[in-house]
Amino acid sequence: MSAPRPSTIFLAAITALVAVLLYSPLFVPIVSSFFTISHGNVDWSSPTLSTYVALAGNHEILAALRTTLIVGLCTVVLSVVSGTLLALYYHGRRFGRSYLQFIIFLPFLMPPIISGLALLIFFREIGLERSLLTVVIGHTVFVLAIVYRTVLMRLQSMSRTLVEASYDLGATGWQTFWRIILPNLSSAMVGGAILAFALSFDETMITILVTGTQSTLPVRLWAMMRLGFSPDINALVALILMFTVLLCVLAARFLIPRQMATERT
Amino acid sequence: MNQNIDLLTLRSVSKSYGTVPVLHDIDLSIRDGEFLTVLGPSGSGKTTVLRLIGGLEPLTAGEIRLDGQDISRMPINKRPFNTVFQDYALFPHMTVSGNVGYGLSVRHIKRKEIASRVSQALELVQLGRFAERFPAQLSGGQRQRVALARALICQPRLILLDEPLAALDLELRRQMQEFLKSIQREIKTTFLFVTHDQEEAIGMADRICVMQAGHIRQLGTPHELYYKPNCEFVARFFGENNLVAGKLGPVQGEQRPIETALGRLVCSICDQPHLKTAPDGVSAFAAFRPEALHLADAKDGANRFSGTITDLAFAGSSTVATIMAGANDAAQRLRLRMPSRIDGSALKSGEMVSLCFAPHEGHLVLA
Repeated sequence: MSAPRPSTIFLAAITALVAVLLYSPLFVPIVSSFFTISHGNVDWSSPTLSTYVALAGNHEILAALRTTLIVGLCTVVLSVVSGTLLALYYHGRRFGRSYLQFIIFLPFLMPPIISGLALLIFFREIGLERSLLTVVIGHTVFVLAIVYRTVLMRLQSMSRTLVEASYDLGATGWQTFWRIILPNLSSAMVGGAILAFALSFDETMITILVTGTQSTLPVRLWAMMRLGFSPDINALVALILMFTVLLCVLAARFLIPRQMATERT
Repeated sequence: MNQNIDLLTLRSVSKSYGTVPVLHDIDLSIRDGEFLTVLGPSGSGKTTVLRLIGGLEPLTAGEIRLDGQDISRMPINKRPFNTVFQDYALFPHMTVSGNVGYGLSVRHIKRKEIASRVSQALELVQLGRFAERFPAQLSGGQRQRVALARALICQPRLILLDEPLAALDLELRRQMQEFLKSIQREIKTTFLFVTHDQEEAIGMADRICVMQAGHIRQLGTPHELYYKPNCEFVARFFGENNLVAGKLGPVQGEQRPIETALGRLVCSICDQPHLKTAPDGVSAFAAFRPEALHLADAKDGANRFSGTITDLAFAGSSTVATIMAGANDAAQRLRLRMPSRIDGSALKSGEMVSLCFAPHEGHLVLA
C-alpha cells in the first residue's frame, strides 16, 4: 500500500481531536467514581468502592430508581403500541399522513422545555393532577417519534410481496397481520422499545415540569447538584452512563438489518 | 382434466393505473391442464395479466370467468389460484416447512394432515432434507422450489408463475425449466407462466400468448408462432427471422407472391385466410427462417436471389452467415444458418453467392 495522502492524515487528525475533546469528559466521572474524593478533589492514590456502597444505602436514590423504572416501562408499553399502530397507519393509508408524521416528530424536535411547558399548561387546563401518570404521558409524547420511525423503516423495507403471498395463500387480513407482518416487525419493535426506555430513563426537563412529588433518577440527580458536588453524584452519573450505553448497544443489535438466521448456516 | 375445456376466460379486460392504460381489451382463454406462457418484452402488460387473474389488482373493465362464473370481484384469498412470485416472497421468519404449510394452516387444517402434506410436497420438489432450514439458508434454485411447493400444496386450479426463473443463472434455469415441466405433468395442474425469454417460452409452453404494449399479438402453439407469425412484432420477437418488405401480388392457390427489393418471392399462405383475403398491393413482409435459406443450385427456380457474405459466425453445431442481398441502395441484411462442417465452411467472407428458399418455408406477414 502506498503512503497515506496528506488529506487522509488531516482527516484522521481532526477526527481524533474531536473524539478526544468531545468524549473524554464522559469518562472522567466514571473513572473518578472509583477513587476517594476529599475536599472536592479526586485522590488518585486511593481507589475505593465506598461511593457505590453509600449509593446502595441511599433510600431516596433507590426510590428514584424505582420511579424511573416504572415510568420507563409504562412509557415503553404505551409508545411501542401506539408507535406501531401509527406506523402501520402511515404505511397503509393516505388520509392525513403527512400531517400525522409532522405532529409525531414535533415534540421530539422542539426544545424539551417548550414541550414540557406545553404539557404542563395542558394538564392544568384539563385539571389533571401532576403525578407519575403525567410523567408517563410526557415521556410517551416525547419518545413516540423514535419508536414510530424505527417500526416504519422496517415496514418500508419489508417486501410488499410477503403480504401479497400471504393473501394469495388464502390468509385473511387478520392472519396476515399476526403471522406475517408482526413477526417481521418484532425486532424493530424491541429495538425501538430499548431506545424508548433509554430516552425515558435520561429525560429530565419535561419530567421536572410535569412530575408531582415523586422524582426520577435524573431529577433526583439535578436536585442533588443544587446542594453541591458530592461523591455520590459521580457514582450515580457513572451508573446512568453505563446503563444508557448498554441499552444503546442492545438496541443496535436489534435494529441493524440482518438476514434472518443466516448466522446458523 | 380436459385440454379442450376452458378453465379461465378473460373477456374485454382492461387495466389502467390512474390515467395510464396498461392493458387494452384483452380476451384470453386458458384451457384446463395446459401450460400457457405469456411472453412479452418488459412493459407489455404480461405481469399485469397475471396480477389481475391472481386478484392482486382490481380490473378497470371487463370480467374474468372461472368455469363460467364471474370472479372479477372475488377477493384474492378466496380464489383457487396460487402464485409463485418473481422474488419468491418466502416468509423469512418461517422454516421451509412453515412456509410450505402456511396455505393449509391459515385454513385451520389439522396439524397432522399439514405435516404429511408438507412432506409430500417437499418430496415432490426434492427438498425433503431441507424442511427445517430457513429461506436465507437456501440457494436460489432451492428457494424457487420452496415457492413452488408452497403454491401447489393448496391444490389450486391454476398456478401463476411470475418470471420465476429470471433470477437464476443459465444452467440452473435450464434445469428448472425441465423440472417445472415435469412437475406440471405430474400434478396435472394448469400453469400460467409469465416470461420475457422466448427460448424459455418455446421450451416449456403448450401454448404461448405474445403480448406487446398492452395487447395480445398472437396466441398459439410454439410451432405456430415460430413458423406462422401473424404480425411483424411476433415475427421479429421470435428468433432471428429474415423479414423483407414488399407489396402483395395476386393469390395463386395456397401461395401468394410478394414484390420485394429481392425480386418476386413466393410464400405459403396455407391455413391463413386473412392472407388470402388481403387486397393486392398491400404492404407486407416475406418472412423466412435463417435455416430455410440455403445456397441455390441449378434446379432451384423460385425465390432465387444473390448476395454477398459479410460475416461468418461459428456457433457450434451451426454456422450463421450474414449476407447483404439485393441492389446497393436497397440492400437487405439476411441471415443464413447451415450445419457446421469439420473441415470448415465452404463459404468465405466477401464471396458472392446465389441463394433461395422453398415457397413452403416462406411466410407472409402483413405490415
